[in-house]
Parts: sequence; structure tokens; C-alpha cells
Amino acid sequence: MTELLTWFTSMEFTKPFALVLFFVTFVSIIAYVYLGKDRSKRFESYRYIPLQESDEKCNEKES
Amino acid sequence: MSALAHTSTTSYNYEIIRKFAVMAVIWGALGMFVGVYIALELAWPIFNFDTPAITFGRLRPVHTTLVIFGFGGSALFATSYYVVQRTCQVRLPSDMMANFTFWGWQLSIGLAAISYMMGFTQAREYAEMVWPIDLLIAVTWIVYFLVFVQTLQKRSQPHIYVANWFFLAFILATAILHIFNNMEVPISFFSLKSYSLHAGVQDAMTQWWYGHNAVGFFLTAAFLGMMYYFVPKQAGRPVYSYRLSIIHFWALVFLYMWVGAHHLHWTALPDWTSTLAATFSILLLLPSWGGMINGIMTLSGAWDKLRTDPVIRFLIVALSFYGMSTFEGPLMSLKSVNALSHYTDWTIGHVHSGALGWVAMITIGSFYHMIPRLWETRMYSTRLIYLHFWLATIGIVLYISAMWVAGIGQGLMLRAFDEYGNLAYTFIETVAFLKEPYVVRAIGGVFFVAGMFIMVFNVFMTILQSRREREMLEAKLASKMASA
Amino acid sequence: MRHEKIETNAGLLIVLTLVVISIGGLVEIIPLYFIDETIEEVKVSGVETVRPYTPLELRGRDIYQREGCYTCHSQMIRPFRDEKLRYGHYSLAAESKYDHPFQWGSKRTGPDLARVGNKYSNEWHVQHLIAPRSVVAESIMPNYPWLIENKLAYNDIAERLKALKLVGVPYSRTQAEYEENVKRFGEDVASLLDINRAEENLIKQAEQGNYDGMPGVITEMDAMVAYLQVLGTMVDFKQFEDGHFATFR
Repeated sequence: MTELLTWFTSMEFTKPFALVLFFVTFVSIIAYVYLGKDRSKRFESYRYIPLQESDEKCNEKES
Repeated sequence: MSALAHTSTTSYNYEIIRKFAVMAVIWGALGMFVGVYIALELAWPIFNFDTPAITFGRLRPVHTTLVIFGFGGSALFATSYYVVQRTCQVRLPSDMMANFTFWGWQLSIGLAAISYMMGFTQAREYAEMVWPIDLLIAVTWIVYFLVFVQTLQKRSQPHIYVANWFFLAFILATAILHIFNNMEVPISFFSLKSYSLHAGVQDAMTQWWYGHNAVGFFLTAAFLGMMYYFVPKQAGRPVYSYRLSIIHFWALVFLYMWVGAHHLHWTALPDWTSTLAATFSILLLLPSWGGMINGIMTLSGAWDKLRTDPVIRFLIVALSFYGMSTFEGPLMSLKSVNALSHYTDWTIGHVHSGALGWVAMITIGSFYHMIPRLWETRMYSTRLIYLHFWLATIGIVLYISAMWVAGIGQGLMLRAFDEYGNLAYTFIETVAFLKEPYVVRAIGGVFFVAGMFIMVFNVFMTILQSRREREMLEAKLASKMASA
Repeated sequence: MRHEKIETNAGLLIVLTLVVISIGGLVEIIPLYFIDETIEEVKVSGVETVRPYTPLELRGRDIYQREGCYTCHSQMIRPFRDEKLRYGHYSLAAESKYDHPFQWGSKRTGPDLARVGNKYSNEWHVQHLIAPRSVVAESIMPNYPWLIENKLAYNDIAERLKALKLVGVPYSRTQAEYEENVKRFGEDVASLLDINRAEENLIKQAEQGNYDGMPGVITEMDAMVAYLQVLGTMVDFKQFEDGHFATFR
């Protein structure tokens, strides 16, 4: 356990490791969210939730 | 949607929101007043009046607690209950539990303030509450979590709107932070005094992990939840980009937890920890600005509203200050900048550009939107909202510029050397230099507090007006019934 | 997995958020408990020189916290030339290893106090605490006249030491623990850390030190000045080679 932790605090190992890990995660999230037309359209439809509330008429309601 | 047809405003629990909203405004005015008072103490120490309860050291936690937890906390309870009910289109599951969170929270704040003045404290910044209050807060918070999650679970909307993600992350993170940071051993069952479980380096790290995430989750993530609901509502337009909000959310909640150690640069904390914190602080700029852009661009195509709607002004200025202080923050987390800024008033200025500029302004804007809807009337006076806006803005600008002068000035003086390599200034010479900035800061504070008192008045009159209108309506109905 | 899964499932949202927010804290806090170099070893001829506070010093530290001194004074000197000239050697992690809670502070409205011990006389501290501006004309520190008026409460001193022992400070209760302390800190210090003699030790230190200049009465001032006078004095840097502590950074 201690060895693993010491390995972790040694910046020469952890820096590239963390960089690759975070970068890949970040890029895949971005890719997932922004690529794909249908998905984008679907996501953007949720924007209207607060404007669809019951006690207010809203002309941007879609369904 | 069929759910829309049979839900109406009356089925929401607005009573609990009204209570929290009123207390938020009161704690805000009171806490900021204490802030001005301790600013006066720093400018003129005579204001300490040789009275233990009101010396700077005891009042400063009163100020931070009333403003962060009294004002900010009550505002978050109010708006989160408002937003979660309306976006889930369902009533809070239990009025009793909701009321419990109200009394538990208010009691904690009140007791904390009194106990600090009596000298009972844990002496850990923003976590000064003694152990029985910590327990009360923990219980209150768990009930809050249950109320919130049960509302989410019985929602009649398929989706959980993004504002609620932020509120949820704030509730979860605050619970973890509060519990782990307040591990302590009381000296006896009947004593308020306790010693914290951690010591030295570990205690410092835990405390600033807590301290910065009180900023990150309590004062940022939760208020972003507020932003994601109230900016679109007030603008009457959907938020700029839902996809951006997904990235914003996950990146923000992931990155914030790493940055606390930037409060401990150059200390006895190991270098690897503070380097890590500095790195993540820089990365944090991205989601912060992503969120700011998402908020401000919601207004794109309707910029004219800035001229005509004072509430929008509060919201947009809040986002601008959010952008500014989330740029300043990473800057100050660089070790070289931090060497100058740490321990000086620059930090105090930075905190206030966040706390006044972002937290208070977004809250005030949201409240001016929400309060008339809670009491089913209009705000008593729009002109007073304009006045409040200008008092608040001028106050902030005075405050943070005074603190830049004080902090950077003192930082430079402290590291100045004369031609022989000796220190150019003694410490007390730098204290003398701070006098003028401290006076200007107090004046800035007076402006901001004046705005808050105007808000208290405006809200009070709005409530009276709502009561009058309801009475008139009832009288009309009664006379109709009588004549029929 | 579609993001909608998360957006429509509160339980999943909670779990994922918990995972994501836990990582940072775990990575930064846990190793600090396990990596030995985090806290320096400070030994002179086999004896640890950084010791827990004596009962009187501890009461002083409690009062330091009660008055919120940490809101204006730091106890953490950074490794800079100006701070070395102004305050002394930078602070070691070891020097606050018995501090529950730490009092490093975050703001220097007044000067750093990490090495204020032995810098000024007891009389100076007493005068300065009662009326700071009578000693330093431009000071903005509040007056603390009640410190010399209030009798020190020490009836619960043993409880305090016991609580600290529970969180890991090596105060001793049994003979075995006492002997362990003799080995670690030497006999003189070890007897000060004996919980059974806490009250006796407190009274003795206050009477011998006479920090408040009033023999016969033990005031809060005694405790406060005793605490201030020990700050930063436990490591004698002359005993170590230059750069010795840099290896820990």
C-alpha cells in the first residue's frame, strides 16, 4: 500500500499517467456530447424544462 | 403532457420557501452589517471597545458564518426547494421534514453566532461551530438530502433538470466535507470544547479541502444551480447550451475537490500536494468559464433586456463577477503569485468579489424574480431594485479595488529590501500603509449593506402588499357572495 | 450508456457524483498519513525535541483559539528570504504535529507568530496584550485587558489532556506510557506530559514562570504568555546542518 502511494507521489510517474487518463476521459466526454446530430438535438430539447412549467404559458413548448 | 394539466402552483410547498427566503434576507443584512463593523475595527481599533464578545477575532467568524451559512445557506434552501418542485412538477414529499430543515438550520446559525461571541469555537476557518452544532447541522443536512432526493424520485417530469444536478452535488459534497472535516473529540460530554482528530499537516490539508470546497460546492456549484434556473426564467429563454451544461457539471464537480491545497502553498504541506492543487486550479478555469458563457449567452439575442430589466442586470453582473473571480482564483493559485498574495488582503478582496459579486448578486437577482411569485404579487418597488443594484455594484467595486491596493501593496512592501540587503519595511509600517485602503473598504461595505437594507424594506413591503391584495380579494368575494 | 440514463435516475446521479467528487480528496489527503517524509524527524542526541504542550501552554493555546487570534496571525513561516529575516527559519511540519487543530492561519493582519517565542520578554507580552498601542503605536490589535483579570480555569485540565491523548498526542497515563515518553523526550519533558500530574504541573509552571508578573495568582495571561513563549522554540536549528530539512520538501 505504502509503495503504491509513494509511486503516486513521484511526479515523474503520475504526471504522464494522470495526463493521459484525464485527457482521454475529457475528450471522450466531449466527443460523446457533441458528436452525433440526433443526440445533440435530443440534449438541447431538455433546455426547455424550466419554461414548460404548469402555471405559465410558454410558446416555446414543443410537445 | 398530462402532468401539466393537474399540477398548479397551489400544490407546491411555497410556505417553506417563503420562510427560508425571509431568513436569507435577514441573515444577509445582519451578516453584512457585522462585516462592515469588523471592517471598521480594522480601520479604527477603538471599535473593539475592550469588550470580549465584539473583538475582531470573535466577530469575524460571526460575519463569515452569518453570510455564508445564514444568508447563502438559507437562500440555497429556498431556491433549491423552489427549483426542485417546479422543475419536477411535484410537491416536496413531507412538510414536516422540510420544516425540520428550516428550524434545524436557523437554530444552527443563531447558536453558532452566539457561541462564537461567547468564545466557543473550533478555531478552524468556516468550520468554527462547536461539536453539538456540528451534530445538529449534520442531522439537518441528512434530512435536507432526503427531502431533495425524494422530490426527485417522485417527479412527474421524466428528466432531472441540470439545475438540480448542481443542487444535488452541493448537498452531497457538503455532507462529506462537513462530516470529515469536523471529526473531533470533545473533552467531556458537558463541555463545548473539543480537539480535532487531525493535527498539523493533515489537519491543514483536511481543513482547506473543506474550506475551498465550501467555496466550490456551497458557494459555487449550488449557486450555479440557481443560475441554471433563474437566468433562463427571467430572460424567458432557454439556457444557451444543454450540452455545455453537461460538460460544465462533470468537469466542475470533479476538478473542484483537488484545489484546496492551493491555500497552503509554500507551507509545511508537501510540495507534491500543493503542485497538484495548483495544476487543477488552472484546469478549473475551463468549466468555470464554460458555465459563465452558458449563463451569459442565454441572453444572446435579447441583450436589450439588460437596459429594461433590473433583475436581469443583477444576474448578468453576477455572472461577470463569477468570470472575473474564477480567473483571479487560478492566477492566485500559481505559486509565484501566491507567494505575494497569500496572507494579504488580496485574498480577502478575491473572496469578496466572489461572495458579493457572484453569490450575493445572483441570489438577489433570483430573489427579486422569486419573491413576487411566492407571494403572488409584484415587487413593491422596481425603482428600489435599481437603487439596490447601483449601491451593490459601487460597493463591490470600492471593496475589491481597496483590497487590491492593500494586498498587492503590502505584499510588495514585505518583500522589499534596501541597498544593503536588509528589509526595507518593518511589519508595522505595512500596517500603517493599510489604513486608507481599510477605510475605503469599510465605505464599500456600507454601500453594499445599504443595498441589503433596501432589499429588506422592499421585500417587507411586498409581503404587506400581498397581504393587502389578498384581503381585498377576499372582501370582494365575500360581498359577491353576500349579494348573490 | 446514454447520459439520459443518469438524467432520469436520481440514484445513479447520486452514485456517480459521489465517485467523481471523492477522487480529489482521497488522492490528496490519504497519502499524507502514510508517507513518512511528510513530517520531519527532529532528534537531538536521540531525543525528540518537538514535544506536546505542557498543561499551562495548552490552556494558553485554548485561549488563543477562543479569542480568534488565528483570524489575524499566521503560524507558518514560508521559505523566503524576507520571511527568514523577519521571522526566522521556515516552519517545519514537525513543529505543528501535536497541534489539534493546526493554527497556521491564512491572513497576516498582524505578524506571523510561529517563532515569536523568546523574542520578547514576558513583561512586553503582558503590556502588549493589555494595550497593544502602548507598545506599538500603529498597531490595530484589540486590547485584551481581561486576560490579566480572569483567573485561569484549570479544573478540567486532565480531561483536556485525555481528549488529546485520544487523538494521538503522547500524554501518559500509565507507568508504561510514562517510561515510553522518558525514552522519547527525556525525563524532564516526560514528567510534564503525565496526565496524573497535570494540575500540579500547571500550577508549578505558572508559579515558577510568573508570566503575568503577579505572583500567587494564575491568570489567563499566565497561560497565554506561556504559550506564546514556547512557539517556535522546540527546534534548535543550530544543531542541524544547513539544508538538512530541505530534503523533506
